Amino acid sequence: MMVEQTRPGEMIRLAVELRGVTREYGPGQARVRALDGVHLGFPAGSWTAVMGPSGSGKSTLLHCAAGLEKVSGGRVLLLGRDITSAPDGVLTVLRRRTVGFIFQSFNLIGSLSAEQNVALPLRLAGSRVSRKDVRDVLAAVGLGDRLAHRPRELSGGQQQRVAIARAMVTRPEVLFADEPTGALDSTSARTVLGLMRGLVDAGGQTIVMVTHDPAAAASADAVVFLSDGRVVDRLVRPSVGAVADRLARLEG
Amino acid sequence: MLRLSLTTFREHRRLFAGAIVAVALGVALLQSSLLVMAAIADAKIPPGLSGQARERLRDSYAGAATLLGMTVLLAAFLALFIVSSTFAFTVAQRRRQLALLRLAGGSRPQLLGLLLSEALLLGTAGTATGVLAGVPATWAQSWSLVALGFLPGGFSPHLDGGIMLGSACTGLVVALLGVLAAARRAAAVRPLEALRDTGRAARVMTVSRWFFGTSSLAVTVWMVWVGQASEVLGAIVIALGVSVIGAVALSLLSPLAVPLASRLLGPVLRSSTLGELAQANLRDAVRRSASTAAPLIVLVALVLGLTGTLDSLAAMVGEEQRRIVAGDLVADSTGAVAARIAQVPGVAVASVQSTVPISVTGRHRRAGRTYRRTLYSGIVAVDPSSYRRTHRPAPRAGSLDRLHGRTIAVAPGQSEEGWRLGGTVTARVGGQRMRLRIVALLPPTLENGADNFLVPRELIPAAVAARAPAQTVIQVAPGTDPAAVAGRLRAAGVGTVRTPARWADDRAAAEERANMAIFAVLMGLGGLYAAVAVVNAVVIAGAERTAEFAVARVTGLSRSQVVRMALIEASAVTAIGLALGGLVAAGALAGIGAAGVRAVGVPLIAVPWTPLLLLVPGAFLITGATSVWSTLSATRRQPVTLVTARE
Ligand SMILES: Nc1ncnc2c1ncn2[C@@H]1O[C@H](COP(=O)(O)OP(=O)(O)OP(=O)(O)O)[C@@H](O)[C@H]1O
Ligand SMILES: [Mg+2]
Repeated sequence: MMVEQTRPGEMIRLAVELRGVTREYGPGQARVRALDGVHLGFPAGSWTAVMGPSGSGKSTLLHCAAGLEKVSGGRVLLLGRDITSAPDGVLTVLRRRTVGFIFQSFNLIGSLSAEQNVALPLRLAGSRVSRKDVRDVLAAVGLGDRLAHRPRELSGGQQQRVAIARAMVTRPEVLFADEPTGALDSTSARTVLGLMRGLVDAGGQTIVMVTHDPAAAASADAVVFLSDGRVVDRLVRPSVGAVADRLARLEG
Repeated sequence: MLRLSLTTFREHRRLFAGAIVAVALGVALLQSSLLVMAAIADAKIPPGLSGQARERLRDSYAGAATLLGMTVLLAAFLALFIVSSTFAFTVAQRRRQLALLRLAGGSRPQLLGLLLSEALLLGTAGTATGVLAGVPATWAQSWSLVALGFLPGGFSPHLDGGIMLGSACTGLVVALLGVLAAARRAAAVRPLEALRDTGRAARVMTVSRWFFGTSSLAVTVWMVWVGQASEVLGAIVIALGVSVIGAVALSLLSPLAVPLASRLLGPVLRSSTLGELAQANLRDAVRRSASTAAPLIVLVALVLGLTGTLDSLAAMVGEEQRRIVAGDLVADSTGAVAARIAQVPGVAVASVQSTVPISVTGRHRRAGRTYRRTLYSGIVAVDPSSYRRTHRPAPRAGSLDRLHGRTIAVAPGQSEEGWRLGGTVTARVGGQRMRLRIVALLPPTLENGADNFLVPRELIPAAVAARAPAQTVIQVAPGTDPAAVAGRLRAAGVGTVRTPARWADDRAAAEERANMAIFAVLMGLGGLYAAVAVVNAVVIAGAERTAEFAVARVTGLSRSQVVRMALIEASAVTAIGLALGGLVAAGALAGIGAAGVRAVGVPLIAVPWTPLLLLVPGAFLITGATSVWSTLSATRRQPVTLVTARE
């Protein structure tokens, strides 16, 4: 698998594609250019990590790619479809069926149980919710005995596993993750990364993951490095050592 | 969606408690007021009553119906106000949760549906409580209307299914209407906001708030300015307008006004670390402090503005009467006794005015139409020459000299009702009918319920006049001490004898009491709602701050310090709300003062001390107690469990 600069005639099917994407924040003098002409493609069925120093634009890149944020320039394509200026209704449907999210803060609804949280996207999409499916997914992430627990009654690692189960149950084609292991200890982190690997290998899903952790990045198929809103480097089939090395050079 | 809203409703039940109480109160009041009004409409005037008694009964029914009508409007308005501010507040507070729903694929209509079903649940709970509470409220309301003298004793309403159903539906409609604006704002929440704390969540002064706030402030300022140059009645209308619109303006602009005012409190607060923290919180949590202050602003402005206006009017009535009456003493007695007054040594002139039980029927013109009307009250028999010597204002048309034989004079109470000089009316004296010619029109006065007609004494049979209640204005002979004459009159047993000043003051006090009877009901109601709104805001704010308090405690504050910090904040907000409300009331009364100078030569502003002395400690007590309670319950759990909890 490769992360390619998109060229005309490219043959690899891309799940997400950024064409010259620019994103600026703030007015006049205080203007910040968080993304600066980013050309990037994320191949379908692969797992790509995005790394870079703090403030380099990683989260912004993820939000723009997922259609959560409007871009200032350039185009964003999701599964070959231009979503650069898609209306809210289209994006809502995408969020229901096509894309999923996992974040550092686990983003579960506090008043709902683990089981209800997992079933929520299906219920919002109006599809019939099979309790068995929901329970199977929770069992698969090792939470078969915590169905009725509220998020505040779960540990951080368990909450993140609920969030992953929620992303698994709708089988989204693209999963966006921003520091999914950022708040977890190394054992919980390994469990979560293992689950994500399963999604890509068994389910053929695409994952775009922002991380600061070289070990997490090494679980991915490829790594791209951002600095000051530009793609500055890339690694294919990364090892922990090589990632840490590049990162040290960037930050140094 | 209903199941989801059931869960969120249960989760946020404390946030909704205030709105439920408001809807329940509204439904209960609506139902009981409508039931009492229906009973009034059905009420038969008992046969065999005199014309005067019938008119009094009909007047009191009309008065009660008006009062109930105002109650209904006020209850509906306040319920709507509280429900909508509750939802605005909870939506602001739950932005992250709503954004999460959007992130999980929730569409805008779905979010709208979620909030509407929450409102429906809230409305149902409030309505059910209200319909049940409305039954005892009906009895309580008719009892208090009887006690305040608006309804005759023995009046009793009965239950009516249609009215109860109607009130229940109104409760649901109010809940749904109240949520609309908040739901529209909720639907505008963007999914990205789940990941960030900034963005539109921080915005309190919305465009519509700016627009309506500044425009009503401009109208208020303009009215205060115009009020400086208007007549008494105009000034009163303006003062009422200033109270209402000014209250709306400052409560809309409270997110700006409260932090500004808190800067003035700065030196006091900064004297302690906790106070400094509290002041920083006041400035930072604009939405929270504004929603506590707003109901207080409205309450204080309305209560002080309205009672101040009416009491000032009462004071002016007293002053005016003092100027009208040219006498040394005023005596109250029956006609028979009054006839003896002139014989008492030292009395030079005694003008006896007996209120006689006759009726006057005639046609008068108002607004281009003529009406036929019969009046039974305020018809006074006088001796024209002594009346003229003891009452200063000359008729604006005709002359009291001609008040002899079959004639009548239009007194201040009917002065602006369109009677014409030279016209005729039919009077019924005992069993006899006679036609009377209008020979004089007296100028109007400020008094509410002033005399309607003057008739010459010779028209009234002596027996009738002797039984009628009479008021006698007395001038003592030159060089005689009025006090000595008063002593002689008292010794002769001619009833109550007062100086005109005393008499005018008593008259003002009676007018004030009549105002208070009406306002006691409305103000009690307004106060109740304001208390619900304030408690609601403080409770919601407390619930919202669980995490913030936990952080403060982890940082090193003890639980009691956190409670004290919140208490300082609540007290400061209360002081600010009271002061801003007082400012509006002062603006309202400024025009009255100016009009008083023009009408009676002195700025007669009655500061309504009784409501003020009830309101100020009451407000501090309620906000303080609620703040302590909600802070204690928000800090019950160990801070660590809260600091690590994440949505
Ligand atoms: N809403 C915003 N308004 C203004 N500037 C923003 C906003 N969001 C991000 N930025 C700026 O854009 C730049 C990139 O931010 P971004 O959050 O993408 O960084 P990041 O690479 O995710 O950093 P970190 O690793 O610390 O999370 C930063 O300089 C940031 O200050
Ligand atoms: Mg980031």
